[in-house]
Amino acid sequence: MFAQGVDSGILSNPPADSWPAYHGDYSGQRHSRLTQINAENVGQLGLAWAFQTGQQQQIKCSPLLVDGVLYITVTDNVWAVDARSGHQLWHYAYPPNKGFKIGSRGVSMYKDWLYFMTPDAHLICLNASDGTVRWDVVVADSAKGYWTTMSPLIVRNHVIVGVSGDFDNLTGFLKSIDPETGKTQWRWDSTPPAGTPDATTGGMTWMTGTYDPALNLIYWGTGNPTPVLNGKARPGDDLYSCSIVALNPDTGKLSWSFQPSPHDTHDWDAVETPVLVDADFKGKPRKMLMQTSRNGYFFVLDRTTGESLLTTTFGPVNWSSGVDKKGQPIPNPAKEPAPDGRLIAPDEGGLTNYRSPSFDAKTGLFIVDAHPSYGIYFAKPADGSFGWAGADYGVWGKAVLDAIDYRTGEIRWAHELGPNGAGAGVLTTDSGLIFTGDAQGNVLALRTSDGKTLWHSGAGSPMQSSPITYELDGRQYVVTSAGGILFSWALPGRE
Amino acid sequence: MVASVFMRECFITLLATASFALAQTPAERGGAVFLQQCAFCHGRDAAGGEEGPDLTRSKLVAADAGGDKIAPVVREGRPEKGMPRFVLSEADMTAVVAFIHDQKTKAEAQVGKRRGVEVADLQTGNVEAGKAYFNGAGKCASCHSPTGDLAGVAKRFEGLKLEERMLYPKGAKAKVTVTLASGESIAGELAYHDEFTIGMRDSAHHYRSWPTSKVRFSIDAPADAHADLLARYTDDDIHNLMAYLQTLR
Repeated sequence: MFAQGVDSGILSNPPADSWPAYHGDYSGQRHSRLTQINAENVGQLGLAWAFQTGQQQQIKCSPLLVDGVLYITVTDNVWAVDARSGHQLWHYAYPPNKGFKIGSRGVSMYKDWLYFMTPDAHLICLNASDGTVRWDVVVADSAKGYWTTMSPLIVRNHVIVGVSGDFDNLTGFLKSIDPETGKTQWRWDSTPPAGTPDATTGGMTWMTGTYDPALNLIYWGTGNPTPVLNGKARPGDDLYSCSIVALNPDTGKLSWSFQPSPHDTHDWDAVETPVLVDADFKGKPRKMLMQTSRNGYFFVLDRTTGESLLTTTFGPVNWSSGVDKKGQPIPNPAKEPAPDGRLIAPDEGGLTNYRSPSFDAKTGLFIVDAHPSYGIYFAKPADGSFGWAGADYGVWGKAVLDAIDYRTGEIRWAHELGPNGAGAGVLTTDSGLIFTGDAQGNVLALRTSDGKTLWHSGAGSPMQSSPITYELDGRQYVVTSAGGILFSWALPGRE
Repeated sequence: MVASVFMRECFITLLATASFALAQTPAERGGAVFLQQCAFCHGRDAAGGEEGPDLTRSKLVAADAGGDKIAPVVREGRPEKGMPRFVLSEADMTAVVAFIHDQKTKAEAQVGKRRGVEVADLQTGNVEAGKAYFNGAGKCASCHSPTGDLAGVAKRFEGLKLEERMLYPKGAKAKVTVTLASGESIAGELAYHDEFTIGMRDSAHHYRSWPTSKVRFSIDAPADAHADLLARYTDDDIHNLMAYLQTLR
């Protein structure tokens, strides 16, 4: 096996025997052209192998697959695994540290180097062949309350990293880092410096963005403002929190922004995947960006300009008083957290969360794991204006897979996934299949056209990651996770 | 060069951690573990954060003596509420328990300026309007009675707990009747239901399950009426209903 590593060509047009980046490619569609597993034979799908991390932490990463090797993570840990057999090649454990241990979304790759982010906000460059450390740089000061969980976005010679931190009033930012030296190339701040009068902090850059090589723009969602539930200390829209921003990857210069949740007071990060789609909209070819946002809205934007093409809800939403002329929801002040409580739809977890949706071009369907839900939100002066600054409680929720027609926002079909929430990511394939999971821990294969279940297998606990697929030696594998175990599914009789 | 600097920093950090450990109280040591493993959901001060409840107001914490109630929940998790299992050493568990009790003591000392939801915060409703809603638009009276199942409910629950149960009683029991291919009909308490399996506790309290594709079944889940109401409540309806329920002592 000769290591090729990852270059711009592979990231722009990933071969079938690879999944070289968090989203699989730059578009964020989490759609594969593979067709070996199809609606006729998916019923025969079985376990090819399983890999046990042996960790109590759940797998929340999207694996990478490059040169026949899978790279997976949980917080503080990276493994390289033979993608044909599930055999471990190496394991890297980050030294004990004081960072928040929330999760790890996976590594990223440039040439033969892996990039891994740690709970105490370091970026580690590892040698992909043996997991040894090449360099280690500090991205943010974890003593101030920053941590990191995300898989960096690689654009040419830029390793673009984001940060997290909701318990302190901190400025969110993106940094572009040199893949060879670890030096910072540029930094873009989503909110003003902490302590700026009447200004927000927050706008954390939790998740991996997407990229349009032709426009040379990266697209990124930013998180909630801080203080989180008390909006009085930060009047106005609180830019650029809860926003979708388009930046130049070479300079970090802002090209345009759109704000899914102006003046958010419900913790609804707008960090869900900004999915890039080139297709017709109302009879005109468009370069679009689509997001199912945590606040319950589905947005379709022109990604050249940020112009709104469609704004609609995809489940119960009761916090807005309409949509403004830019296509942004208008927050209803009566639905801000209050001392005696406000009933809000969706709940704090949102109508969807960070696991990936998928776009299927053949049907024009945007498939998302939805969480119709209600919560009660409280805030009073004693809660202060730092960090969380209030309290909220989920009341009721359920899990539904929604198939949204991007042209109208209409929900073409909905597939019930059980009580509370499922939280699984979604993968679609050219053979008209969807892979996802339900609230009880079943892995599901559904027919994209109508949501009918074609195959399932119990995995023991709900999937907290997004599935991937690849083909090696003529055999297609679908990789999912449950708890600390990675499962690789394939058709029988092809060894 | 960069790597060697990192090694040195790491070494210094380890030394610092070791010396701190000697000076720290159990609650302080527990605070460090809590920060890493628990704070994202339960808040850095254990008074509630993203998704997780305020532990300083928890009945389970109040009833805990030296970890006898807390430790099993930490070890086993509460999967139905989204809390995973945690593997902690005995020393770390003891320290975390000490930290939670310490936070509870500190929170309770903050009289009048305490964070979170107090019983006093939930007194903005109107009793008569709540009673009218109970008997009218809310249709609560079609299942509940102030002199029957709800008699004394305000003595059993108060404040946020009462409001949460009013909005949706989590864990409420449902009944299921399964009809087999043979025509035999079996009734019991719903124990499991997904797209593929229906499970129950039958009248002898045995667990039984069937593939959903092989049987017919009907579920009677009275709590669904609470979920249906969520889309119809105004915030005033909720506060008024709370005011009325709090009179049922």
